[in-house]
Amino acid sequence: MPFVAKTRSFLRNLFSNGRVEQDLDMEVRSHLQLLIDENIRAGMSLQEAQRRARMELGAEQVKQQVREQRLGDSLHSWIADFRFGSRQLYKNPGFTLTVVLTLALSVGANTAIFSLVNALVLKSLPYPHAERMGTIYTRITGSHPSDERYDVDGEKWELLRDNVPALISAVASGVSGVNLKAGSHVQYVRNGRVSAHYLDVLGLQPFLGRGFSEEEDRPHGPKAAILSYGLWRSAFGADPDILGQAILLKGEPHTIIGVLPQGAITPSNADMFTPLQPSREGEGGGTNFDVITRLREGSTWQEADAQINRAWAIRSQRFEKTNPGAQVTYHSVSLQKGETDSLRPQTLALMLSAGFILLIACANLAGLTLVRMLRRTSEVATRLAIGASNWQIQRQFWIENVLLALLGGVVAIGMGFLALRGLFLLLPEHFLPVASVPLDGRVMVFTLGVSLLTSVLFGMLPALATRRVDLRSSLAGRAVAHAGSLRVRQSLIIGEVALTVMLLAGSGLLIRSLVHLETLPPGFNPSGVMVAKASLDDVRYHDPTNFRKLLEESTAAMRQIPGVQNAAVGLTLPYERAVNDWITLSDGKEAGHQDGADLFYVTPRYFDTLQMPLLAGRVFTDADGPDAQRVAIVNQSFARKFYGGGNPVGRYINRDTIIVGEVADVPVASGLEPVAPLMSEQAMYIPAAQVNAQFLSIVHVWVQPDWLVRTAGPVEGLTGEMQRALASADPNLPASGFYSMRDLLARTLATQRIEVALLGALAALALVLSAVGIFALVANMVAQRTREIGIRMALGSSLGQVMIQISRSGIYASILGVVLGLALSAGALRVMTSVIYGVGVYDVTTILVVLLTISAVTLLATTVPTLRIASIDPARTLREE
Amino acid sequence: MPSQPTTLLQGTLDLLILKSLATGELHGLGISRRIQQITGGTFVVKPGSLFPALHRMEEEGWTSAFWGDSDNNRRAKYYRLTKAGRRQLDAASKRWGRISWAIAQALEAS
Repeated sequence: MPFVAKTRSFLRNLFSNGRVEQDLDMEVRSHLQLLIDENIRAGMSLQEAQRRARMELGAEQVKQQVREQRLGDSLHSWIADFRFGSRQLYKNPGFTLTVVLTLALSVGANTAIFSLVNALVLKSLPYPHAERMGTIYTRITGSHPSDERYDVDGEKWELLRDNVPALISAVASGVSGVNLKAGSHVQYVRNGRVSAHYLDVLGLQPFLGRGFSEEEDRPHGPKAAILSYGLWRSAFGADPDILGQAILLKGEPHTIIGVLPQGAITPSNADMFTPLQPSREGEGGGTNFDVITRLREGSTWQEADAQINRAWAIRSQRFEKTNPGAQVTYHSVSLQKGETDSLRPQTLALMLSAGFILLIACANLAGLTLVRMLRRTSEVATRLAIGASNWQIQRQFWIENVLLALLGGVVAIGMGFLALRGLFLLLPEHFLPVASVPLDGRVMVFTLGVSLLTSVLFGMLPALATRRVDLRSSLAGRAVAHAGSLRVRQSLIIGEVALTVMLLAGSGLLIRSLVHLETLPPGFNPSGVMVAKASLDDVRYHDPTNFRKLLEESTAAMRQIPGVQNAAVGLTLPYERAVNDWITLSDGKEAGHQDGADLFYVTPRYFDTLQMPLLAGRVFTDADGPDAQRVAIVNQSFARKFYGGGNPVGRYINRDTIIVGEVADVPVASGLEPVAPLMSEQAMYIPAAQVNAQFLSIVHVWVQPDWLVRTAGPVEGLTGEMQRALASADPNLPASGFYSMRDLLARTLATQRIEVALLGALAALALVLSAVGIFALVANMVAQRTREIGIRMALGSSLGQVMIQISRSGIYASILGVVLGLALSAGALRVMTSVIYGVGVYDVTTILVVLLTISAVTLLATTVPTLRIASIDPARTLREE
Repeated sequence: MPSQPTTLLQGTLDLLILKSLATGELHGLGISRRIQQITGGTFVVKPGSLFPALHRMEEEGWTSAFWGDSDNNRRAKYYRLTKAGRRQLDAASKRWGRISWAIAQALEAS
């Protein structure tokens, strides 16, 4: 049976290779002996017979030819190459460790960043048929073209809901903190307000009960609630009879009508949901609703878009009338794109920076492998001489590179995992719009792919170099100094230093703007202030009398805490995002002018507690009550913007409100015309006692007021005391969190801090890699030119001269790299204009620091390896030849 | 080299080796000398071609090998035809006959 015979041979060749080889050896030997015998019989001398026999046979070549046509030979030689490769790597632990570490760091950084991109941009949303889910973009053409996702108001929502049968649509209005009373216990939970059909659009089937009906979603409809699985278990002990039970939420009974399944993911990540009950009034009077849609079975996106444009025609016409030349159309965009579009620029910039790191690592590794390859020139020459083909030599190198890539890739996955863990420690809760950032199959494939790509890139150069191995000169003995290879290595260093300069300059600018934002003149005294937040989204506090009583009693109780000097309540604090409102100037030549302003309600001692300087007039007193004259205090920006810097005290706004004081500006997270994450803008303060019921019922849905106390020093158990003080005024009012002013500042600047952390880490990595690259270049020069150095020193060169001579190669490369990097930065850093504040793109300080850093690192990286020169003994090196 | 060896057509070497083994078992050198003899010295098979072919044919199952003693008491590896080898010799001889006839025809035609 030929097939059986073949299989047997194949297996024997593979697994009993030793026996097969021995057999072949014996056969060739016996053949030689027979030839010799034959030659002797023909009358030759023994020596002549042996010589002729050897010439005819060529034993090693014959054996190799037999091996090559054996079954499974190619597999066999691959295995042999792999074995040889691993042995080579094992025998050079320094080289292997450097390569694997470099790969692990650079690829690991890429892994971490790619897994973010993967989770944010690439992974499809975790809903059934996510490709049928969408949101609506508004495309405006004309002089100010744009194509963006906008929140809609009540009118647009009603038009969409009632006139677009091709879609199931739903709206949501963010997540807010509310107080939930389950049994005797009151707890703070995150509540999402969503319209009917919200769960239908997401494709979520409730674990118990149902989603909100259209009846429950009408204004003043029945109060209903849906619990997340987690809240159902933690607050209600997974009670199976929960449906139909009433819970006290925001001070009102709500009927539980559903429980979400375990692990259900909603865009808002809330603990529970209540019906949005949208209308054209109140919240629906502004663009506060976020639309999500799902294409109905049998409909197409084209039909849906046509229906949307018909339904919203009156709105686009209204806009076009007030903005001549503009044209407005609406179109559906996949929810995936809609949710992640805003993050795309940042993630792309991060990917680009990570790509830089990879290039730098490639340059380093190419330099390292080039040196290693040159050291192996004689090995290569020997192999070529005894009959290895060029392809076999190349294959050997590539196999070693792939082994390194795989090793590096595996370590990189571990590194990436650690880097992600570190990143999450930095991120505030609910910062990312996704539940988790997994290291899934796609990330693994990416990592191994990048490792392999890297190995191809860094292996290419040395592989090309060995194609030119000259047999005769290489076999003749020691490798000659390769001027060409030094050039190549220097260019690699120039490239990586240039990339490093760009990353350093970029992160330098980010650091400078973060420092600028964090050290803005506060306009108050931020130290010694402790803040408690609590949700007043509660029907009891829609009543101004209850509200006033709560503020008076709780602040009075807080002032009793030992060590507390002052206490107040305000909506909101410096560094936080303030509520924006329309104001009308009511007197003088500005009468009738309308504009936006930040609106704060504060208790009388707010300014004293924050130690905010009063510039003119007076602060509020207890006399500014509900029945007194309506009063307001404005800030400096307000006076400057509306009164040209004149004294605002005594002027009237909103018909009946008189300005009684002017205070200093404080930085806030802007909502009016944000040009920076933290800035001063026109603001108006009103007494909490003069706030009306309508404002109270709306504003606390969105924003939680702050209770603030000032202490002289650290107070033991202060937060506990503050909670007790709050409870003494209302036992059902849990604080949602406690913060120092620094915490509030950090919360507002979270994005900037993360940008600094990420880009800073990448820049530091780039710097380390470049330093390693320069170090390796110079260290190799020292090793290669030991003999030359010996001669120079024997001829009378001083140690210093020689050191400078040798380190020059690294220093030149570094200088050229810096020049190239600065030139590139001049162009590339302009894209950062939108993310840096208080500092220009061409910032002298940043450039100087970058230059100093690179110089210091270059000096270190070139000096340390040249220190070895001191131990070179001229006499010994000369004798060695 | 005594004579310019004729370049062997693909498959011809196999046929010659099979043929040389048809009369009985031989070791490598024996096969080489036998081919030289039966082709009147036209084909000199060098070890570099012979051994790879022998091993390939053994893997194909056409020959089997064993160690034995040579005439002058040297250990040598002997090859002999298997049943499959005889069938292969038959088939290859017939095919060769057809080819050489066809080539001869082609050359005679003018």
